[in-house]
Amino acid sequence: MTAPAAAGALNVLAKSPKELRALGDARHLSLNDAEWAAIQTHFKSIKREPSLAEIETIAQTWSEHCKHKTFTSPIRLTEGKKTRTIKNLFEETIVAATAAVKKPWCLSVFEDNAGIVAFGKKWALAFKAETHNHPSALEPYGGAETGVGGVIRDVLGCGLGAKPVLNTDVFCFGTPGYAGALPEGAHHPSRTLRGVVAGVRDYGNRMGIPTAAGGIWFDDDYRLNPLVFVGTVGLIPQSAVKKEVKPGDLIVAVGGRTGRDGLHGATFSSANLGADAPSSAVQIGHAINEKRVLDALLRARDKGLYRSVTDCGAGGFSSAVGELGAKCGADVRLEAAPLKVSDLTGWEIWLSESQERMVLAVPPKNLKALEAVFSAEGCETAVIGEFTNTGRLVVTHKGESVVDLDMKFLHKGLPRVEREATWSAPATSKASGGVEKKAPLVLREMIAHLNVCSREWVIRQYDHEVQGGTVIKPLQGVRHDGPGDACVIWPHAATGDMTDFTGFSVAHGLNPDYGRLDPYYMALACVDEALRNLTCVGADPSRAALLDNFCWASPADPRQLGALVRAAEGCRDAGKGYSAPFISGKDSLYNQSKDEKGKELPIPGTLLISAIAPVPDARKSITMDFKGPGNPLYVIGRTNDELGGSLYHRILGRVGGEVPKANPACAIEGFKSLHAAILKGLVLSAHDLSEGGLAVCAAEMGFSGEFGARLDLDELARDPRIYSNETLLFSESPSRILVEVKPESESAFLRHFGKGAKAAAVRRVGQTTANPILKVVGLDGATVLEEPLRELKEAWQRTLPAVLK
Amino acid sequence: MSVRAMPIATHLIEVRLRPEFADAEGAAALALLLAQSQPSLRDARVSRVYRINGPITANQVQQVAKDLLCDPVTQEHRVVAPTSPPLNGMNFWRVEVWLKPSVTDPVGETVRDAIADMGLPRPDSVRCALVYRLSGRANKASLEKAVARTLANPLIHDAVVSEAHP
Repeated sequence: MTAPAAAGALNVLAKSPKELRALGDARHLSLNDAEWAAIQTHFKSIKREPSLAEIETIAQTWSEHCKHKTFTSPIRLTEGKKTRTIKNLFEETIVAATAAVKKPWCLSVFEDNAGIVAFGKKWALAFKAETHNHPSALEPYGGAETGVGGVIRDVLGCGLGAKPVLNTDVFCFGTPGYAGALPEGAHHPSRTLRGVVAGVRDYGNRMGIPTAAGGIWFDDDYRLNPLVFVGTVGLIPQSAVKKEVKPGDLIVAVGGRTGRDGLHGATFSSANLGADAPSSAVQIGHAINEKRVLDALLRARDKGLYRSVTDCGAGGFSSAVGELGAKCGADVRLEAAPLKVSDLTGWEIWLSESQERMVLAVPPKNLKALEAVFSAEGCETAVIGEFTNTGRLVVTHKGESVVDLDMKFLHKGLPRVEREATWSAPATSKASGGVEKKAPLVLREMIAHLNVCSREWVIRQYDHEVQGGTVIKPLQGVRHDGPGDACVIWPHAATGDMTDFTGFSVAHGLNPDYGRLDPYYMALACVDEALRNLTCVGADPSRAALLDNFCWASPADPRQLGALVRAAEGCRDAGKGYSAPFISGKDSLYNQSKDEKGKELPIPGTLLISAIAPVPDARKSITMDFKGPGNPLYVIGRTNDELGGSLYHRILGRVGGEVPKANPACAIEGFKSLHAAILKGLVLSAHDLSEGGLAVCAAEMGFSGEFGARLDLDELARDPRIYSNETLLFSESPSRILVEVKPESESAFLRHFGKGAKAAAVRRVGQTTANPILKVVGLDGATVLEEPLRELKEAWQRTLPAVLK
Repeated sequence: MSVRAMPIATHLIEVRLRPEFADAEGAAALALLLAQSQPSLRDARVSRVYRINGPITANQVQQVAKDLLCDPVTQEHRVVAPTSPPLNGMNFWRVEVWLKPSVTDPVGETVRDAIADMGLPRPDSVRCALVYRLSGRANKASLEKAVARTLANPLIHDAVVSEAHP
């Protein structure tokens, strides 16, 4: 056989770094100088030129998307005058936290396509969330759709395959009413929003997976780089978690055909978004094809017909086969792959990211049975090679060698380049600027603010009921339109068990405004928010598992990288503090683009924490709306003067201030006690205090249940140095939950907090009233707020439909 | 052998909502266009056009249109001539939004398989377009611009704006 170089050799060995950079730019390779040098050294040692396909394979495998090279490379961090070196940020923060909390119910963390945690004795939950930001910026509908398709395949391709039972979606967009200029080719934020929502809707609805958890954050700094986080939860038997490829297994491609669409998605994620983005990076999804793969795959799994599986994501066959065969080796014959168009060259087939494809490792004796299962669903299969024990990746196309690479070089050869990072704490924590406004006016503005207002316009487009297990729905209250904290899913349709009422819940935490002040405390606040949302509906906070999704601007800027390190260290301390392991995650970097004036516009550093936890008895889960008049109201958690990055400051136009600082040890005690009380049936409703603080929380609970409330700010557990009613009303101190308790159960409720009651700072702050008015009495005994809830609700509901009319 | 039995290579089938039904999709499209400074547009109706390439006769195309693509209760269909219709130039516009040939068309693929499932010859390709039939005054260049900002993404779509019959 000829050397791969004969089939389209690239003259790389003799080229200067400058020439190589030019070559890389022309082919969208996103390889840096050190990586080119490593490639030159490797091919010099084997005395030949690399082929185009080999360079493409290496570029894909070493891309930010596949190897997360920023997170795993050494970083020199300068903090003021001190400098320290981090050897591997990922290992030292996220992985370290998971290792430290040692949870036996974590069945698979970080290695597979999704994290897997035990769910009862027989089952396990697989959970994965990732982003599809760049494609969604170019083509919102197709980008979001293929993002959903991709994350569903991640869950299908983890272990031996999990059945998807829930989709989640979190978005960050520019404000839909943005009236400024945009650079050529950029979509207006309102178009991005419509397209992305439609894409998530169509893919999830068509596949019959409920989309029932998520959120949206609006900020004009996302106008050029919208963030689209999509997640999927799957149910998998614990016996199907382990997978192993054996030499001799056939490489079987299933699902969609391979086409020219979607070349260069992975390397694209290592580059800044520009006007010359390759159009082939964008595709339209085919949900029906994926549904066929899903149905056939799970049937084949239950018959034990294959030994391993993974999805074709970024990098297509190259990454799927490369991943499965990393420990043994693989021989691939590309001419056997079913194609959409016949004129594809070898490297195009090898690297195409056409959607809805998966790769299986099948023992030869099972091939016939496997083909029968897939053809019954109208789903194509093709044997494209076999796994070997040579430790080499050998790819041929019509007899010509395309790739012949050492797996070790491919997966371990990535040069580790030390990166520079700097972090300096904000000079002053004193808030400044802005105009004072009266509390009632502030509350009205808050409730109608884009980051608080009703998401019904979006949520109603999703089928959140399909599979029939959505016990607690995204919209709650007497009129089914109040903002729930989280959903609760009882996956009986997937388990087939109608006597086991264990469910699970998924919630999110995200607040880039805190990160502008201090990414470390943003990370703590995000974990706290996700866990308290889970607690509010009845999920067990001590069994929560976390996903981290970082979206950042270019890490080549030391300040951006410094902030990223700070956020990762926040994750580490939050994971340890709340005793919640991270099980999977993803990062998306280089989220910055040139604005209309040619200036770089970076996104604010954004961390999404997605949390999943079992609900011990789904029948005991609760919603956030007030259930009746005259019920005592308790606030769990202490209120501090923490208005930095708050919605209050945003509305006043004020900057700086103390960023909310979570105290994990106190917080988790409070959450656990509340969870026990909810399980006992002592709690009628619970809602977390987040953007807008106590005022917004009480208003939402009131108008969702159509009962009023009378609150006395003097009763709040608080920092004694606070003398301002506004601070108490609108502070965003984390870990706080407003709880409505049955009058006859007050003492039983308090007993649950036991000695922890003091630390968790549980205080009765008022009661619900029949008249739907929110009345708040201030520290001086005078009324601070007396607002009819109906008007607040109307304002809350009007915002989104008005800007999207 | 009759000349008329010769299969032609390309067939176009248009399926649209009967005029007596309110067209929600059209109303949504109209709202998007109105927001793009096209204030003189009065109405928008949406139909779908399927372009079928392959060894399939005119009668078979009629059968596909009637039995597969059209819901006779709410919709009506017609087989369109591949040549452009004569224009009357009077305040009626037709906007066809096709996926570019390099982009996968899931609807088209599904229709192709469904035609084969009817026992008819499998077409070489089927592509599907959304067609917006607009009434009201507009300027072609500015309408094209408005379409590129709302109904079509130039990155993946080919949009054809033409004056048309009502």
